[in-house]
Amino acid sequence: MSASARPTHDAATEPYQPVFAGKVLEELQSLLGRYPTKQGALLPALWLVQRQRGWISDRDMTEVAAVLGLTPAYVKGVVTFYTMYHQHPVGQNFVQVCTTSPCNICGAEDVVRALLQATGAKELGATSPDGRWTVIEVECLGACGFATPVLINDDFIESVSPEKVPDLVKRYR
Amino acid sequence: MTRLVINGRSITAQPDQTILEAARAAGIDDIPTLCWYPKLPVVGNCRICLVSVEGQPKLLPACATQVADGMVVQAESHAAVENRRGVLRLLLERYPGDHLINGGRARPRNEFERYVVRYGVVPTPPGGRDLPLRHGDERPGDSMIRHDMSTCVLCTRCVRACEDIQVVGVLDVGQRGEHTEIIVGADGDPDKAGCTWCGECVRVCPTGAIFEVMPQQRFAPERIRHPDRVVRSVCPYCGVGCQVDLHVADNTVLRVTSPDIELDTPNQGSTCVKGRFGYDFPQHRDRLTKPLIRKGWVKEGGRWTWRGPTGRERRGGPWQTIEGEGQNAKPAGPPRSVGKSLRELSLLERLDLDIRDRGATPASWYEPFREASWDEALELTTQELLRIKGARGGDALACFSSAKCSNEENYVLMRLFRGALGTNNIDHCTRLCHSTSVAAMQRALNTSAASGSMREVEHAADVIFIAGANTTESHPVFGAAIKRAQQRGATLVVADPRRTELAGRADVHLQMQPGTDVALFTAMLNHIVARGFEDKPFIAARTTGFDAVRQSVRALTPEVAAKITGVPAELIRRAAEIYAKGPKTSTLWAMGLTQHANGTDLVASLLNLMLACGMIGRWGAAMMPVRGQNNVQGASDVGAIPFVYTDYRSVKDPKIRAEYAHVWGVPAESLSLKEGLMVTEIVKHESGVRGMYIMGENPIISDPDIAHAEHWFRELEFLAVHDLFLTETARYADVVLPGSSFAEKTGTFVNTERRIQLAREAATPPGDARYDLQILIELSNRLGLKTAHTTAQDVMREIVRVTPSWAGVTYERLDGAGLQYPVPTAAHPGTAFLFDQRFPTTDGKAIFVPVEYGPPVELPDDAYPFVMNTGRQLYHWHTGTMTRRATGLDQREPTAIMEINPADAAALGIEEGDLARVTSRRNSLVISCRISDRVARGQVFVPFHFREAAANLLTNPVLDPYAKMAELKCCAVRIEPAAVPAVR
Repeated sequence: MSASARPTHDAATEPYQPVFAGKVLEELQSLLGRYPTKQGALLPALWLVQRQRGWISDRDMTEVAAVLGLTPAYVKGVVTFYTMYHQHPVGQNFVQVCTTSPCNICGAEDVVRALLQATGAKELGATSPDGRWTVIEVECLGACGFATPVLINDDFIESVSPEKVPDLVKRYR
Repeated sequence: MTRLVINGRSITAQPDQTILEAARAAGIDDIPTLCWYPKLPVVGNCRICLVSVEGQPKLLPACATQVADGMVVQAESHAAVENRRGVLRLLLERYPGDHLINGGRARPRNEFERYVVRYGVVPTPPGGRDLPLRHGDERPGDSMIRHDMSTCVLCTRCVRACEDIQVVGVLDVGQRGEHTEIIVGADGDPDKAGCTWCGECVRVCPTGAIFEVMPQQRFAPERIRHPDRVVRSVCPYCGVGCQVDLHVADNTVLRVTSPDIELDTPNQGSTCVKGRFGYDFPQHRDRLTKPLIRKGWVKEGGRWTWRGPTGRERRGGPWQTIEGEGQNAKPAGPPRSVGKSLRELSLLERLDLDIRDRGATPASWYEPFREASWDEALELTTQELLRIKGARGGDALACFSSAKCSNEENYVLMRLFRGALGTNNIDHCTRLCHSTSVAAMQRALNTSAASGSMREVEHAADVIFIAGANTTESHPVFGAAIKRAQQRGATLVVADPRRTELAGRADVHLQMQPGTDVALFTAMLNHIVARGFEDKPFIAARTTGFDAVRQSVRALTPEVAAKITGVPAELIRRAAEIYAKGPKTSTLWAMGLTQHANGTDLVASLLNLMLACGMIGRWGAAMMPVRGQNNVQGASDVGAIPFVYTDYRSVKDPKIRAEYAHVWGVPAESLSLKEGLMVTEIVKHESGVRGMYIMGENPIISDPDIAHAEHWFRELEFLAVHDLFLTETARYADVVLPGSSFAEKTGTFVNTERRIQLAREAATPPGDARYDLQILIELSNRLGLKTAHTTAQDVMREIVRVTPSWAGVTYERLDGAGLQYPVPTAAHPGTAFLFDQRFPTTDGKAIFVPVEYGPPVELPDDAYPFVMNTGRQLYHWHTGTMTRRATGLDQREPTAIMEINPADAAALGIEEGDLARVTSRRNSLVISCRISDRVARGQVFVPFHFREAAANLLTNPVLDPYAKMAELKCCAVRIEPAAVPAVR
């Protein structure tokens, strides 16, 4: 996504609810104690935001910047550098399928197709209409002997074949 | 010293220098660089400066490799050149370089393309590119800075310039791999990311991916690349006195750049938004190009006679008074992301709210005037000044000189009033600026200027104490230097009622009630004395009178002061200890301290604190009253103040008088021994002043209690105004003389650190407008004071004859960074800091002056519950005569706003952009509100630049007993939602 994407007018005029309040703020504070500088806590602070919101918006980045004494541009630079921070809303279940060479040979593309069909997501990266699923391709998940590995949220599932997909998806409904 | 060989030349270098630095220092300046730039942190990411070093298996980056003894460097070896070609070829993969394809014959348009041509690299034809060009303009609709990222080569100079030179951090690098790009803030909105539009990114960009808009709108690209000439001048705005290069085409300044880092220039290559983008006002359609005479004047029988209306209509015209305009409904101000109150609105949407050019002169203002010849205008002026002098004596005349004009012009005007008209009634805006500082510094140290330099604050101060100065907005280039100092490790302590940018960054922010500074500083001194932290050897050796001060601070403990100032006692103690422990503390202050009816006391109490801790006279311990205008120091130095001639030599001393009379060729008796009246005294009925000459000042906006001032000016017998535009003051004039702008003159200016700098003429005045100096010289001659000078340089030769501390100044010596006076001899190198040995008092010792705390004149009460503070904005300057006619600046702040705390706004039912009525004991006005927690509860801030809501309608004209400064910073007001909605 391009950094020049602007928030829509509606999103911009809605009042902003800060992430770091109450319990999350406490979590952040205990986090800060573990790093020599506030800047050092940027990655885990962004994780907190993603856990709370599901993704990290421009407004959230501005808040993180203010809280950690950084510039919004710096935070944005970090968020956009790493692929594991979402800059768009994603489904409640976030599915990552390895399609790198060995898995590809073993039929990873069929697994992807099956996942898209079972979840109702129209294409890779898109969210299903019910808001529950987003499927993306990733590079090597480090389980070449157990093709095709799939990561659903934090669960690592090995040896997925197209046939196993419908049951797998049901488990996360 | 390290010896090495570069390109076969043996050179010596400092051991900590890089190959690149050593090469450039030795004059070998052809090692190409893209990511490297002077003063920026070295990142070494572009790899174009790689050079061969004998014995090294790989090429090494010249920008990041330290020199070593015996090193043998080949900058243009085969391997180095091949590498450069490779680097350029890769960059050209994503660069629109089609115009460079026809071999080396194409004309390079920028730094990067020059390397492409130099190394004979052929760009990829458009069809052969594997990757699309980058794209994107992060600043659509911006009137000053735009992006065309298709030419970005990702050198990241802009990112580092923003982060490390200006210390703002708007830009960064986003994404990775082939998607890498320069990003603006978190969401692409520079405003929300805190952009100050300084244009540092424009300056450092090697390809023009980040560029200035205005020149491109007005001139062809070829013109911009090849101007007729580039002239070194001095920025016309604040007291930092930045050196700027004016690029001129068709007798017009087409753009402004800053010279690269050069010796000790105050700005070291930077500028702020005003300096870089505020240059187009001389071309505004309002510019006067012919003298104007009020229509009632007719010439009968060789004499000018008034045949127009008399009484109230004598100076009338089809306009509203400032008071009247204050009551009108107005547009809402544009949203601004200062403080925490962010208003989310993209620049595109903001374009719909275009309410610019509201400061321009309405056409009807010209109606009472007719165009005249110079002969008519000067004849009438001469006749009337001499008539009033003859009828009522010289003291019935007065003159406002100008801190925006050069030393030479101020000197000639001062000479004219004293020599030809026999009065010392000559003053300028220093009265409303640092007059109280001068009074306090004169009493304590017998000096009138800063003791140190800006660069010592940046490089050497351990603690920077800032009292009542919003440096990042009022003196942005110095503000950035202070931020850099903090990044290097200096501790920042800020005393300010507002949470300004520096206050927000400060290690300690003392947010006191306006006008309670004496209590604050006294309590700090109380704590320092109680703990024995004062500098006893310094006090004993270099000062007198400390015992009285020790007594006078005894009662004011931090606890007592906490009640008065609202600052917690603990914070006062901490600030005091930081200040006293230094070891090198620099003390800065500006209008927040001086613009009070007890301003002299306020400054005196700060000086006591400074002297007790010995924080003066050492490199890094500077005393810096930060000067507001680019020549407010110089105008005072050359005697445009009522009590002194040049160099602060008293007008009361007959011996001094005789010296000036001799140089000017007039009888000594014709010069008055009586001290003249000051700005704030002149504009009073009891002053007896009946005729005035005003050069480049606009007192009807800048004087306290405008309604009274405006009435007073209407009652004058004769008023001549010498200005660029028909200002709010000039519309009441009998004669308006069109002068020259900053770009249209040669002359010297003195900045806040006593640096005399030479500004050179870049263009000629338009139409019949004349050089300011030419007007003043002709007027002098017509008034009977023989003035043979023809150039500014001639005038300077006379100034140095009568100004001992400038005796060594010549125009030739001012090339480069200028000279910091005192420069007593032709060989003297100038003085970067003063008072390391003695103070210029009779016994060489500084004098402590005990100060008692007194509350501000007007405290908030039930009827007027708010305290109103006034000051400057980043984008405007003083009465807006220039900045409101500068396209870019005007777009950023097109209308008057008042900052109000969110809690107060909520309690009053006021929302962002709503109009409020502000009423003081003097007057009232209607103004748009900007909700911001920069101001504390119970306080509001109104900038004083705007005619339509002139803050000075409300301010209190009560005067400081010593300096006759008015209480501009603090008056009690009532606020209510205005009954009218905001208009376009």
